[in-house]
Amino acid sequence: MCLRCDLTRRSLLIGGGAAAAALATGTAQARIRPADMVPLIGPGYRPTDKDEMGLWKEMERAEEEISGSNLLIDDPRITTYLRDLIGSVGGPAAKDFRIYLARIPQFNAMMFPTGFAVVFSGLLLRMRNEAQLAGVIAHESGHFLRRHQIRSWRDMRKKTDIFAIGTMLAGIGGGAAGVGVGDYVRLAELGTLLSLFRYSREMEAEADAIGAKLIEQAGYPPVEIANVWQQLVGEEQASAAYRRKRRDRGYDLFATHPAPEDRMVDLRADAAEVTVPGKLYDARRARYLDTIGSIRPMLLDDQVKLNDPGASEYLIKTLALDGWNGLLRFYEGEVWRLRNRPGDDVRAAQSYSAAVVYPDAPADAWRWHGIALLKAGRTAEAKAAFARYLAMKPDAPDAAWVRQMAG
Amino acid sequence: MTKMMKAALVAGAALALPACSSIGGDTFGMSSYSLARVARQSVGDGGLSVVAPRPWNRQRARLFSFFDIREVEDWTLNGPYLDGITFVTGLKSGRNMIYQRRSENQQVPAFRADMTAPEIASMLESLYRVRGGAVDFKTLGLQPRPFLGVNGFQLDYEHLDDDELWRKGRVVGAVVNGRLYLILFDAARLHYYNAALPDFEAIVQSAQLRR
Repeated sequence: MCLRCDLTRRSLLIGGGAAAAALATGTAQARIRPADMVPLIGPGYRPTDKDEMGLWKEMERAEEEISGSNLLIDDPRITTYLRDLIGSVGGPAAKDFRIYLARIPQFNAMMFPTGFAVVFSGLLLRMRNEAQLAGVIAHESGHFLRRHQIRSWRDMRKKTDIFAIGTMLAGIGGGAAGVGVGDYVRLAELGTLLSLFRYSREMEAEADAIGAKLIEQAGYPPVEIANVWQQLVGEEQASAAYRRKRRDRGYDLFATHPAPEDRMVDLRADAAEVTVPGKLYDARRARYLDTIGSIRPMLLDDQVKLNDPGASEYLIKTLALDGWNGLLRFYEGEVWRLRNRPGDDVRAAQSYSAAVVYPDAPADAWRWHGIALLKAGRTAEAKAAFARYLAMKPDAPDAAWVRQMAG
Repeated sequence: MTKMMKAALVAGAALALPACSSIGGDTFGMSSYSLARVARQSVGDGGLSVVAPRPWNRQRARLFSFFDIREVEDWTLNGPYLDGITFVTGLKSGRNMIYQRRSENQQVPAFRADMTAPEIASMLESLYRVRGGAVDFKTLGLQPRPFLGVNGFQLDYEHLDDDELWRKGRVVGAVVNGRLYLILFDAARLHYYNAALPDFEAIVQSAQLRR
């Protein structure tokens, strides 16, 4: 049975990871200092070497496919916002970058060798402020500015002998065939493309360092990039611990080889190094929330309905660090309801009744509140909740059913 | 995996990968489909019988499989990427419509006998999102509808899957004596949904519980 026969860590190690594994030797190495990180690419970069030109051609095809995908979120306000953001933290290539937002409920973002980035909607859900999002985008820009994709591509081809190339292709082929279920990387065969660009530990450290520098220059608190990392690790641990297994992941926006703890130490040191004492930084939380506010319910919905209670609960609690509201309480209830273990119906009911107290409670909170009351035998209160739901959403798709219940 | 391949229906395309599919490798050259003729057919574990207005292809149950759910059976007209009907014939409380490992991070909720129609609809939505790779799922309608002689429901929906195709579906279902009975139709939104909807409606009308 292979419903989750996605590109696992093992297949990466056997296959595409052959070179990456070779690179990831040695445990201790000096931290790469942001001050030493100069961009290797200026504005309007075009490749001149033959192999890189070939790679660009492939990538231009991929971009064409991605830019026409109906998985993209085509909200002009948000896409403009992302474009402006990469324009402010993209270093010398800022004006050359393109950025696409795909509706994929995963914590991920990636930069392609030709300077276009794909951000998954799941990333926007998890960022607590604009500085965090800028940090991720700056990190990805760093990979481009330091020419990591072409370097790792060349490195891999140099280091892999004939035998390894065979297994590499097998690994990629296997990965490409298996990707899809639940892992959402079928978009333009992203899985295959990404397996060709496994960044080394050193490259990740470089991108971290340059990212810290870029967001500092744009006036964001550099420490937010470390906070993103902490949130990612925390969420993965919560999800894995919930299913009683160890944290494991194929690839994500910070490839996993550096030990999370070392990475954290280095990121905090990078942030400290670039922070200018006395300078005022702004995480621009209000502007961030205002911009993504219109799609936040959708982002939460996409996440919670995957029924990954460990990750969803962690995520909601992280967002609630900035204050609980009706939306978060409602989705907390949804996490319990979908988990559906003994006692979860009571937990869910409590969250729904807490949610409807807030003025921003979504209509769906009233509906589920009503259903919970109905199941508890509190019919009159249930009817009132259903009436409220119908008042808020008169043309709800399930209005016919709810009316019968409210009858 | 045969019945589990309801995922291929249920899940639209995503699960119909050659490596995973019973359409492909593991049948040693035999077709894993048989013909469902225009005559009363008992489906799933036999808890339900239906008559189709024209022949459909039923996915055969395999003899030894840990991954099949006895109460789930899939039919298709043009192949699981394009259209399919899934029968759920009396799923018990606490059971799941699909085989899944406990260690999966993302889980399809199990059925409970006390579920209301919105809860069943939500369970189905998670099935599409968790196992079918749906990135968008829109409920178009949820309304009461008599089914198998009891008060059932009809759910209409559409979903965008990670193969970038929009699919559309209709489920008619009911809980009878604490067990879940569903007939679920899911097809590419363009052409295939409308083309086979009359078949689905006729099948639903013909559905009878085992006596």
